[in-house]
Amino acid sequence: MQSFTVSPFELPAGADSLRRRIRDFLAEHQPVHDPVLRANSWAVPDPAFSRALAKAGFVGMTWPRKYGGHERHPLERYIVLEELLAAGAPVGAHWIADRQTGPLLLRYGTEQQRERYLPAMAAGELYACIGLSEPGAGSDLASIRTSARRTDDGWIITGQKVWTTNAHHSGIMLALVRSAEGSQRGEGLSQYLIDLTLPGITIRPIIDMFGGHDFNEVFLDEVEVSADALVGVEGQGWRQATAELALERSGPERYLSSNALLVALIDLVGPDPAPVVRAAIGRMTAELWTLRQMSMSVAAKLAGGDDPVVEAAMVKDLGNSFEQSLPLIVQSILDDDVDLADGTPLTRLLAMLLQTSPSFSLRGGTREILRGIIARRLGLR
Amino acid sequence: MSENRAMLCDTAVALFADLADCAFEGGWARVTEAGFSTLLIPEAAGGFGGDFGDLSAVMRLAGRHAVALPIGETIVAASVLSAMGMDHGSRPLGLAPRASGRIDGESFSGRLHHVPWGRHAAAVLARIGDVTFVIETGAATIIHSASPAGEPRDSLAFDNAPVRITMTRRDPLLLGALLRVAQTAGALDAALAMSIDHANQRQQFGKPLAKFQTVQQNLAILAVEAAAANCAAAAAAAAFDRGDALFEIAAAKLRANLAIEQGTAIAHQVHGAIGFTHEYPLHRLTRRMMGWRSEYGNDRTWADVLGGIAAGCGGAGLWTEITRRSDAITGTSHD
Repeated sequence: MQSFTVSPFELPAGADSLRRRIRDFLAEHQPVHDPVLRANSWAVPDPAFSRALAKAGFVGMTWPRKYGGHERHPLERYIVLEELLAAGAPVGAHWIADRQTGPLLLRYGTEQQRERYLPAMAAGELYACIGLSEPGAGSDLASIRTSARRTDDGWIITGQKVWTTNAHHSGIMLALVRSAEGSQRGEGLSQYLIDLTLPGITIRPIIDMFGGHDFNEVFLDEVEVSADALVGVEGQGWRQATAELALERSGPERYLSSNALLVALIDLVGPDPAPVVRAAIGRMTAELWTLRQMSMSVAAKLAGGDDPVVEAAMVKDLGNSFEQSLPLIVQSILDDDVDLADGTPLTRLLAMLLQTSPSFSLRGGTREILRGIIARRLGLR
Repeated sequence: MSENRAMLCDTAVALFADLADCAFEGGWARVTEAGFSTLLIPEAAGGFGGDFGDLSAVMRLAGRHAVALPIGETIVAASVLSAMGMDHGSRPLGLAPRASGRIDGESFSGRLHHVPWGRHAAAVLARIGDVTFVIETGAATIIHSASPAGEPRDSLAFDNAPVRITMTRRDPLLLGALLRVAQTAGALDAALAMSIDHANQRQQFGKPLAKFQTVQQNLAILAVEAAAANCAAAAAAAAFDRGDALFEIAAAKLRANLAIEQGTAIAHQVHGAIGFTHEYPLHRLTRRMMGWRSEYGNDRTWADVLGGIAAGCGGAGLWTEITRRSDAITGTSHD
C-alpha cells in the first residue's frame, strides 16, 4: 500500500518570471483592506479587483485564447493562485467561475456555450455559483429533488437550492437537477447553467453565525430555460459534477485560509519569540509546508491529466484541520495581556477565524464525507 | 520515478521482505552483498551513484518491512568515508545523533550518545559544535542500550581518540532525521495496510470491522497521516539533493513525528487486543516508530529550529522563503 504517490511539480520553460509578475501586480493593485479580510480571502468578493486581475491575464489562465483565456500551463495557474491566497487578495467574485464553471464548460459544454460564457468569465465580469445542496440534500447530495421538466424548446426548472455561496454576486448558477422524473439517487440528474436574472428566481440571504453573508437560498419557481442551458449529457450530471471535485478540493485555498493569522502572529512576536511560541510557530510551519507539498503534488497529477479524487480529498481533509487548528493554537500561546476584545488587527483576525473556522470542514464536502471517500478507496466500504 | 530508482526499489523490496527473521550478521551480509552501502558513492568511485531521493525511497521500503539493520546510517557514513579515502570493509557504520565532549586538534574525548547499532559500527560520523568528524570505534568503551523496539542504541565513550575532521555538509543529525522520516513513511503505509486487512477480516456484531463507520473514519485519518509523511519524505530528500535543506528536513521530521503520534494510536486501536500481542507483527512497525519519534531530533528540537527560522523571516517573509526554497527545486525563479 502506498497511501499517496508523489508527483513532481515541474513547470514548463518560460514560467520563470510568473511569481514575480503576480507579486508585482499585487503590490500595485491589492486594495488596502482591513487585515481581517485577508483571511479566507477566496470568500471575499471584489469585482473591481477581479476585473483588474483579469486584465493582467490572471483569470482563465489555462483556457484557449479564442475564449479570452491565456493558454498558460495549469501549474503556472497554481503559482498565481497560491500567491493570491497567501497575500489575502479578495478573489471571491471570480473564484468559482475560474476554478470550476469555466473548466466544466471546456470539458462538457457546447461551442455555443463556451463562446457565450467563457470570455466574460475570463474578463472577470461574469461570476458563477454552484447549486448543489438542497434542504433535503446536504451531505446526502444524491437526494436532490429540484426538477427539470422538458418542454418544446427547453426546460422548466422548479425547486430550491441552499447554502449557495455568492449567489447574490453571481450572474449564473450551475445547478445539479433531477431531469428524469422518478429517478433515484445519482441516476437521472443533469447539470444546467441558469441565468440568475430569469423570472421565477428568488435569492434570499442566509446570514451566518458570524454575521457574514456568503450563503443564500435560491428558489426556482417554474423557471423557463432554453434547451442550451443543459451542460453536457442529459442524465450524466452526477458523473460530471463529481469529476469537478478534485479541482475543488485540492487547491491552495484548502490550507491557506488562515495564513493571514500566522503572518500576523509572527509579526507580533518578532524574530526571537518565547520558546513556547517559537515551537508553536515551528509546528504550524511544518504543517503548512507539508500541505503545500501535498497540494502541489495533486496539482501536478491534475496537470498530467489524472483525476486524483482521493488525494484531493486527503489534501482538503488535512488542510481544513490545519486551518481550524491555527486560531486555536494562536489563542493558546498569546501573552495573557492580549485580549480578544483588544481590537488590534491580530485579535480581530483571531476572533473572526475562531468563529468562521468551523465552516472550513463543512464547505466543499464535510470531513465525514471526505473520509468516507478515502475509506472507500482503501477498500473498507 | 527514474528507471534506476525503480530497479533499486525492486531489489530492495526483494531483499527486505526476506530480512525480518535474519540474525544481525546474516542479514548484514546480505545487505552488503547486494551493494546497498555504496548507494551514495559516485559511480566513478565504484559506487551506485544514487542521490538522496534514491536513499529516501530505499529507506521508505526498509521502514515498510521493519528492517532492523543500520542500512541508512551506513549508506550516509560510507559516502563520507569514501570521499575521505577511508575504507570500512563490509562493516556497518554509525551516525551519532548527539555527541558531548571536546575536539582537541585531531582527537576526541567524550561520548557519542545512543548510536544506532553502535556496537557493530566500524566507525561513526559525528558532529560536535561546528565540527563534523569520523571516528573509528576500536578505542571506544561501548555502553549497550536499546531502543523501544530492542534495536541497539549504544553509547560510545572515547578518551583522546584520533578523529578525521571533514568539511562534509552531511550533518549526522540532519541526515539521521531524513532517514527516519522516510522509514516512518514506509512504516505508516505498512501499518495502514495491516490495519485494513485486519478490519476486513475480523468480524464483530455479525459484520467485518471495515463496515463500521467509526473504523472507516479512523483508518482514513491514518491514511492521510501516512500520506503526509510520504510527501514530506520525498520533498525533504529532493531539497537535500538540491542544496541546503535544514528548513525542509526540520519540517519533515516534525510532521513525521506528528504522523507517528496519530498513526500508531489508530493502527493499535483498530487491531484491538490482537495487535498488542508479541506474535502479531504490528508491533514491529509501531514500536520502531515510537522510538524514531525521539531519534535525531524530537518535536521540541525541530520545532525550535523551524520556529526560529520562520520567526526570523517575518510574517510575510515566511511565505517568500517557503516559495523561494521550492522554486529552486522546481525551476521557477523570481527574476
